[in-house]
Amino acid sequence: MIAGSLFSYIVVAMLLLSIGLLGVISRKNIFVIYMSIELMLNAINLIFIALGRHHHSMSGHIMAMMVIAIAAAEAAVFLSLIVVLYRRKKSLDSDIFRTLAQKESL
Amino acid sequence: MLDVIFLLLSSFAIGGALGMVLFHQPVHSALSLILCIIALSGLFALLSASFLFMVQIIVYAGAIITLLIFIIMFLNVKEANLPKEPHKNITLFLGALGLIPLNILILRAFYKLPSSFLEKNDNFGDIKPLGMELFEHWLLPFELISILLLVALIGAVVFGRKEEA
Repeated sequence: MIAGSLFSYIVVAMLLLSIGLLGVISRKNIFVIYMSIELMLNAINLIFIALGRHHHSMSGHIMAMMVIAIAAAEAAVFLSLIVVLYRRKKSLDSDIFRTLAQKESL
Repeated sequence: MLDVIFLLLSSFAIGGALGMVLFHQPVHSALSLILCIIALSGLFALLSASFLFMVQIIVYAGAIITLLIFIIMFLNVKEANLPKEPHKNITLFLGALGLIPLNILILRAFYKLPSSFLEKNDNFGDIKPLGMELFEHWLLPFELISILLLVALIGAVVFGRKEEA
């Protein structure tokens, strides 16, 4: 019985989390970085819900709902930031968005 | 039967996630992310979280990814505006090698847990017990989430405004 055990859900969630982390650390396209962050939040949601089912408590569901609300808030701010940065630099490369990090790149 | 559904859904989810990381065009990445998210909502339904199944489809696939695709089309990104990633496959491979120890650590920790699920009530995961739990034990975080959403709304409006000279 694969679908009835906690470990198989954790394996799927960890694979998704690793793919998301891989997208954040090794891609440069800022849209792909944003989507990888969303994917990691989804993997954490899956872990929360599987553990809630495992312990038979609803608290995991509540945490997953709060993660979804935070992801919605993050989506609004992140996408408007991307629009502002794209208007200024005309590029989606995350390497050139470093005006807060160094003075000389202004 | 449930095993077959689980294997199908998880392979769709992992395939969609891999496609999202590997595709060059952002629109293709967003479409494969939608596939991944819908397969994940099916996994939520397998875990008898029927309310979160609907929330996942409505909020994620319906609102967030649609907003993302809308922004991608609104920006009208050309090939010249995309970053050139000549060593993409090598960095992805090296990153995957670096993430193996983390996975082994966490999966070993979970392997020790008792693996089968407890018996569930009839209405586990429905909207009524979720609402009871939310308003009995989690009232303050719920209200703080509403403040967070208000702040994010104001922040998005401020960022999206046309700049005066």
